[in-house]
Amino acid sequence: MALIELDEVSKLYGFGDATTLALDEVSLSVEKGEFIAVMGPSGSGKTTLMNIIGLLDRPSHGSYVLGGKQVAHQPAAQQAKLRRDQIGFVFQFYNLLPRLNVLDNVALPLTYKGMTPVRRAKRASDILELVGMRDREYYMPYQLSGGQAQRAAIARALINRPSIIIADEPTGNLDSQDSRVVMELLAEVHRQGNTILLVTHNPELTRYASRVLYMYDGTIVGDEKTAIGQMARHARRIFFRKPRTTDNDIAAGVSALIRDVPDKALNPRAKRGRPPKVKKPARRRKAYRTKN
Amino acid sequence: MWSGNLKTAIGSLRQRRWRTIFTMLGIVIGISSVVTVVSLGYGFKHQIVGQINQLGSNVLTVRPGKVIDKQGGVSSLNLYSFLAPSTLTSDDVSSVRHLGLVSSVAPIEFVTNVASGDNGELDNVFVAGTSSNLFDLLHQNINYGAPFSEDDADQNFAVIGSDIAAKLFGVLNPVGSTVHIDGQDFIVHGVLAPSSGGFLSIAQADYNTSVFIPTAAADSLTSNHSNVLQILARVKPQANIDQAAARIRSTIAHNHGGTVDFSVLKQNELLGVTDQVLGKITNFISALAAISLLVGGIGIMNIMLVSVSERTREIGIRKAIGATNRQILNQFLVEGLALSIGGGIIGIGISYLVNLILRLYSSWHPVISVPILILAAGVSIGTGIIFSIAPALQAARKNPIDALRGE
Repeated sequence: MALIELDEVSKLYGFGDATTLALDEVSLSVEKGEFIAVMGPSGSGKTTLMNIIGLLDRPSHGSYVLGGKQVAHQPAAQQAKLRRDQIGFVFQFYNLLPRLNVLDNVALPLTYKGMTPVRRAKRASDILELVGMRDREYYMPYQLSGGQAQRAAIARALINRPSIIIADEPTGNLDSQDSRVVMELLAEVHRQGNTILLVTHNPELTRYASRVLYMYDGTIVGDEKTAIGQMARHARRIFFRKPRTTDNDIAAGVSALIRDVPDKALNPRAKRGRPPKVKKPARRRKAYRTKN
Repeated sequence: MWSGNLKTAIGSLRQRRWRTIFTMLGIVIGISSVVTVVSLGYGFKHQIVGQINQLGSNVLTVRPGKVIDKQGGVSSLNLYSFLAPSTLTSDDVSSVRHLGLVSSVAPIEFVTNVASGDNGELDNVFVAGTSSNLFDLLHQNINYGAPFSEDDADQNFAVIGSDIAAKLFGVLNPVGSTVHIDGQDFIVHGVLAPSSGGFLSIAQADYNTSVFIPTAAADSLTSNHSNVLQILARVKPQANIDQAAARIRSTIAHNHGGTVDFSVLKQNELLGVTDQVLGKITNFISALAAISLLVGGIGIMNIMLVSVSERTREIGIRKAIGATNRQILNQFLVEGLALSIGGGIIGIGISYLVNLILRLYSSWHPVISVPILILAAGVSIGTGIIFSIAPALQAARKNPIDALRGE
């Protein structure tokens, strides 16, 4: 029995002409204890997928079974409880509440569970010990370095002992040293038996993953099992390929990086040599942004 | 949960200190003005009721204007009767005095509001002409000197209130000094004991700021156009008070050519009239004060809406880590309530201060009673809930991903 079971999940944004398809009939099954890295260019639907799995968003179509229960269309209060008890979020920009100290930030999910202040503080303190932040308990978030803030955020995500950790580019804002610390921490959490979903742009980080998903235009275009410690095969290809800009690209005013999308490399059905439809990702990104 | 919310609320209110202070100010002004107005009304009522009770149940009061309806109850008051010049005359006074059923009669004739003494002039004095038995009728003690007697009716004697004594002469006992009223000199013959009571229905004046002179002198000052505000008559113990009232009514009506343009009030009727007049005035002014409360409430709503949109991201984070809509709602509701209840408490504090100042420096004696406090507390809690429910709902209904993305 898979922990997460997505069946033909779609997500649409906007109305009429401005409708954008952020997820296009994505089906995905995640077993307990997997460490999944999700890769893909901006606007490929990685974050939307994470939001749906994390119950922050509802799919427009399709079914989502979490731990054997259909959860996509549960009432908001139920979803909030699932987020509280089952899911831990780690964001790119840490998202600690600026007016609370580290301890209170970490203990916040317990507040919503109705735990007494003393027990909350003890539990938060224990978790902070685990992430090596015990000596920073009474610091305010602005007094922390990026790596420390992210470790506090991981502590907050862990405090309810969730079954799933969703980390949306947790190292996106960190230098390589802090990135390493944060990733080692996530790896440790994974070794304890947690399921981790990691969104990343950095192919190097697939070394920590047991499975790598590649997304493009709202669909999963590649799904690769990989050994922990090894960089995923396709990720390596993206990593080592040098950006090339042809005369055509310059005429079209398009950066080689956009051409450098992984679908060509990954999708076995795609024929090599055909010029890519360069406009597509740009438009999608725009539509995503203008919604609000 | 609630204490946690309160802690969060206070933290966020302290973060925005000035904004919080100014938002609270609206509620502070609203609550303190409502409490002050109601307590003033209550205080007046208290004073006057005390005064009426001091009169005793066998004293009838004749007042200009008709306030008693045909059934004998207090008619819905018509305030015009207070604006018209008095219809009672000195003839009415002497007619009543000659009735067999009454033992003593005293008129109160308004003369002027200006008097001067050694220390200069005062313009908030109640100078009234009366007869010597007024003090006896009112059960009002004289501290120094003595009341003028029946024989002094044509003498320029005056009995003055204790406040007047202090203000015009700067001494407790100015007996024998001269007080100037309308160009005439009056010798201070007695000083009244300080009294807590106000004049019956003449709200501002009380005995402490009054100067009483004999009717004859008053008549000469006003060239016989004296303005009889009321006539007090004590009914003989063996007489029936209702009969006496009827007799007085018919006697004065006879003087007035059959028109009943005055009222003869028994103690309980007087209480009823006082109650109604003060009730109406208090309600009216309270309604005006309540408008400031409404404005204060709208201020709270405004600031809460701003606060909700400023903290969109915080709401998103809280929801992402598992806060339900209700928990977010509670958080903002508690914040709004903290604002309004805080404002209410400060407002009550300020009204106590105003109360103290009024008691020290004016002749008013506002009374802040428990019902007023309960009212103020209820109103501030109500305001808090009513005006922060909309912002709190807005916060609670935010979509978590939009909120997370928002800044």
